[in-house]
Amino acid sequence: MGMRKVAIVGAGMTKFMRRAHETGKELSWQAAKIALDSCELTLDDIGCVVMGTAPDAFDNIHMKGDYLGDGAGAWRKPYIRGFVGGGTGVFVADQAWYHVASGLFDTCLVVAEEKMSSAMPHPQGNFITCWDMFTESPLGPSLLWFFAWEMNRYMHAHGITEREIAMVSVKNKKNAMDHPAAQLPAEITVEDVLNSEVMAWPVKRLDVSPTSDGAVALVYAAEHVAKRITDKPVWIEGVGWCLDTIYVGQRDLYYPKYVEYAARQAYDMAGIKEPSKEIDIAEPYDPFDYKELHNAEGLLLCGKGEAPKLLADGVTQRTGRQPWCPSGGALGVGNAIAATGLMKVAELFWQLRGEAGKRQVPGRPKKGVAQAWGDEMQVGSVIVLGV
Amino acid sequence: MPVEKVTQVSQTKPWYGALSSKYGEALLKTPEPGLYGQYTYGIAGERFFREIKDNAKITGAKCQKCNLIYVPPRIYCERCFEGLEEWCEIENKGEIHTYTIGWVDLDGSRLEEPVILALVKFDGVYGGIVHKVEEISADNVKIGMKVSAVFKEKREGSILDIKYFKPI
Ligand SMILES: [Zn+2]
Repeated sequence: MGMRKVAIVGAGMTKFMRRAHETGKELSWQAAKIALDSCELTLDDIGCVVMGTAPDAFDNIHMKGDYLGDGAGAWRKPYIRGFVGGGTGVFVADQAWYHVASGLFDTCLVVAEEKMSSAMPHPQGNFITCWDMFTESPLGPSLLWFFAWEMNRYMHAHGITEREIAMVSVKNKKNAMDHPAAQLPAEITVEDVLNSEVMAWPVKRLDVSPTSDGAVALVYAAEHVAKRITDKPVWIEGVGWCLDTIYVGQRDLYYPKYVEYAARQAYDMAGIKEPSKEIDIAEPYDPFDYKELHNAEGLLLCGKGEAPKLLADGVTQRTGRQPWCPSGGALGVGNAIAATGLMKVAELFWQLRGEAGKRQVPGRPKKGVAQAWGDEMQVGSVIVLGV
Repeated sequence: MPVEKVTQVSQTKPWYGALSSKYGEALLKTPEPGLYGQYTYGIAGERFFREIKDNAKITGAKCQKCNLIYVPPRIYCERCFEGLEEWCEIENKGEIHTYTIGWVDLDGSRLEEPVILALVKFDGVYGGIVHKVEEISADNVKIGMKVSAVFKEKREGSILDIKYFKPI
């Protein structure tokens, strides 16, 4: 389609934590600097900057993208903030791609940041301004309700149990034990998840990812530049994103059709016909344990309602045939919303280069898909990487 | 870089080694009211909430072209993008499409009694209403259960003019 090939050539991230002393700008700078250093570039080598950060409400800073700009390396550069709520982290990875693929820029620095700890008493409350001010907000809805409605519908549609879903949390928190930047690595059991505090049934404390502060950055380069920078470029082979209706009553809660549309866009571009066989590693968005399964079905990695079976059979373990969230995901590494989406793309970058250390998926993986999801729970963003 | 690892919100300490600014709190405490939004109901919202206020009725908007009835109503169809002008009354008889049993409030504090919160859908309608369900215990609520809206006697044009939905 007349686009140039684009590679990821560098990556960096900060530790994810509950309360960072660093400001959002400082976290952004730390991640961006590590990413630039990793491929021996400086800001002078960067043509443009793409920034991802989720709701302004977390920081109570309106136009947060502008506020964060200098920390992301945007001084006197073409700069844009992409925003689709929880889908932001992978959406900005797509957005940075078209900045370079279009031929406008040879290099792009993409940075995603979130500092959720500024929101008091808890970031949960800051979602209140997201809902419809007449039909929803007067009821004082919590974000948990919306997840619980979806999880309940998913379980109801396929006869899936809380026990089957809890295994996702166990797997991802364990995977995170090998991630040096993880916030909540842990060895827990299915019983621990089932016995944890009920927040909004069927959602329990350990079904949910933590709120986090952190930042992640990647460096993109057009093919001719990438080959000068590294002998291990990781190619962006497909991108896709899609928004469904914003009204919760109008969506099929049991299945994320919009994730499927985003995935089909990315797979078509990447020439992938059978994602369940051709994808070596997947990083579906897992802010809640059921979401990994729900999103994996939307990514066409298995049929509708079949994800729990793959999980139970060990297929999605790090040593399985198709690992899901080998990073540890949002549940284990932490959920610094936009940063977590981009962390998933960074994980594919490290895995496909064979640089994931103790997390390395065996068998030289060649193709990976990462996905983020969110906004008002109607956004899917997808990227396919390959070597 | 020190990292705080906690598993319970209640165990979370303030930021390590730092001053912090409470900008929002200061804003709320100013003698003059802080910044706030004043929203209009809009054309479809006015119709929807006036029917609730005056007649205790739920209103939808119909797209003839797509054969869809929107609840809450809209003045346009999000699919074909045509304008909608046909209002219709929705029978006060819905179904619990999905529900949750809420045990925590917005800042994560435990509630004394759980609340049942449901997405209620109506036959032949695209959309639905999010609301509380009462007159039933949390153990007995089920997906597919038929429910109807219980309206307040004195209504002011709010979604809270519906007290809750109850099983029928
Ligand atoms: Zn229509």
